[in-house]
Amino acid sequence: MADAIILARGLSKRFGEFTAVDAIDLEVERGVIFAFLGANGSGKSTTIRMLIGLLTPSAGTIVLDGIDVGLHPRRVRERIGYMGQKVSLYAGLTLRENVEFYAGLYGIEEGDLERRWGAVRERFGLAQAEHERPENLPAGVRQRAGLALSTLHAPRLLFLDEPTAGVDVESRGLFWELIQDASDEGVTVFVTTHFLEEADYCDRVAFIDAGRLIADSTPEGLRARYSSGYRIEAQLAAGSRERVLAELGRAGFAAEAQGDQLVVRVPALDSEGMRRLGLVLGPEAAASVRIEQASMNEVFRRLIREGVALAEPPAGAAA
Amino acid sequence: MSAPVAAPAPRIRLRGLRKRYGPRVALAGVDLELEGPGIVGVVGPDGAGKTTLLRCLAGLLEVEADEANVLGVDLRGDVRALKARVGYVPQVFGLQRELSVAENLAFTARLHRLAAGKWRRRAAELLERTGLTAFSARPAGALSGGMKQKLAIANALLPEPDLLLLDEPTAGVDVLARGEIWELLEERRRAMLILLSTSYLDEAEACERLVYLDDGRVIAFGPPAELRASVKLDLYRAWADDPRATARAIRTLPFVSSARATGRFVRVEVARTDTPGVESVLAALRSLPDAPVEIAEPAPIDMESTLLALARRGPAEREAVR
Repeated sequence: MADAIILARGLSKRFGEFTAVDAIDLEVERGVIFAFLGANGSGKSTTIRMLIGLLTPSAGTIVLDGIDVGLHPRRVRERIGYMGQKVSLYAGLTLRENVEFYAGLYGIEEGDLERRWGAVRERFGLAQAEHERPENLPAGVRQRAGLALSTLHAPRLLFLDEPTAGVDVESRGLFWELIQDASDEGVTVFVTTHFLEEADYCDRVAFIDAGRLIADSTPEGLRARYSSGYRIEAQLAAGSRERVLAELGRAGFAAEAQGDQLVVRVPALDSEGMRRLGLVLGPEAAASVRIEQASMNEVFRRLIREGVALAEPPAGAAA
Repeated sequence: MSAPVAAPAPRIRLRGLRKRYGPRVALAGVDLELEGPGIVGVVGPDGAGKTTLLRCLAGLLEVEADEANVLGVDLRGDVRALKARVGYVPQVFGLQRELSVAENLAFTARLHRLAAGKWRRRAAELLERTGLTAFSARPAGALSGGMKQKLAIANALLPEPDLLLLDEPTAGVDVLARGEIWELLEERRRAMLILLSTSYLDEAEACERLVYLDDGRVIAFGPPAELRASVKLDLYRAWADDPRATARAIRTLPFVSSARATGRFVRVEVARTDTPGVESVLAALRSLPDAPVEIAEPAPIDMESTLLALARRGPAEREAVR
């Protein structure tokens, strides 16, 4: 990959006899949202701690944003933002005081701080919380404040370890909008979660099991490989049913008529397939189209049951 | 000899249940009537009072109420008789970290004075079902997050309570361990009344009934399908090549309440009060300039939209009351 902001090769971590992470390769392209998923105890947190320079690998190399983490762990930390499972806000200090404390750590000048914090505060909806202490804030607001702090120094790479754990559905939605906005501005986001439906908010998904990578793909790639894919049905007037069925066949779709419905099955719905399907079904069927998609929970259950470790580096997996 | 009398169904009757922590009102008058068995989900935004409600039902808090009856015991009085029949698993791991998995179960068995012949067999079965048999000698504090939760639930099930209260039992737990926990609960859904709080949408959907709390009150109560049907929203999906750009464009449509990119499509919510009609919404979605939508479809209301709509309804109804 030409422009990888995270490049890890042969990354391993052993604790005594136990191998927590077993020779994994990771390449994360700049600007993507990269989901790093796995079961409890699979090696997820150990990998993140190695990537951000908190834990020394037993073997392997890590280059973040062109810097070798093993050689320059401190230089790397200036370029990354990290938010852990427990939000690292100091209890007893107001949010504003926390902000000033972090700004001091990152060497952000006062004038610069006002500008940056002002922007982040508006965007993250934190104005009302500014003079509250974190322990008095609802979990969702506290998580947003944690994310705001981890982005204060404008890092190009964000590590978010279960940022939405214990957060209600409304705050989770808002949180993902903020993450997607950051990504649209070119920030790379490396994120873990147990809400598997959130994998669909990401551009790439890797799955670690017992210390080995067993998947590294797009959400659609996983859906195509580990589920029954898509079932699309449309209701059509008797007059046009035969014609549309024939057109679907010509466009390469496996379609059949069931009563007054046409049913199409596809393993994945890529851009081209979506466009062709939209054209063939056309406006006359639009109001009756129903697309059923396998849930990510389903996909991952099957992946864990069937998954085998990736033998080779995932060349082209990000396509 | 009279025929054995079947145990009465576990029952909860609350009217005006109130709980304050100093000046802060956690429960502002909860009315709830439940007759078991079954799995009841307690859902609602952060800070709604879910944990406090579960703790009240476990007999752990002093409460004020017009009526507060759980399994025939008044929560306002002596609750010792209740505690023997209730299993409670708090959000924070509450077992003995230094004791092994097996020792924790033995400790619970002794607390509840369970007959040795009976509990040992049951404990072995619970360990087997939760995949913890191989770890029975390991200190509980050294288990992974998912295993800790499985142990805590197995431990609460050991005395076979009539009422099982689980506070976010699967928060931070992976999909397989969640599946194992739910299998354990499913098997007991005819034998006991299970109340659990959860942030997972698929779990909320799997409950027989849901209690939706907001600001210390029950805002909605009923089977998931009934709650979904009560939502005055229409949901659409707009399938597009670049869902994030398309979501931004969709947000500019005047009748759209929210639009979020989700994988290959944009979830679009339209309030019934604002909708120009299904055909017009679909036509508008398909003719956005600069953000081509390949397929637009009306979608059934799901749990995500339901909970979001209820979260918005909470404040609106409180305004109306004032």
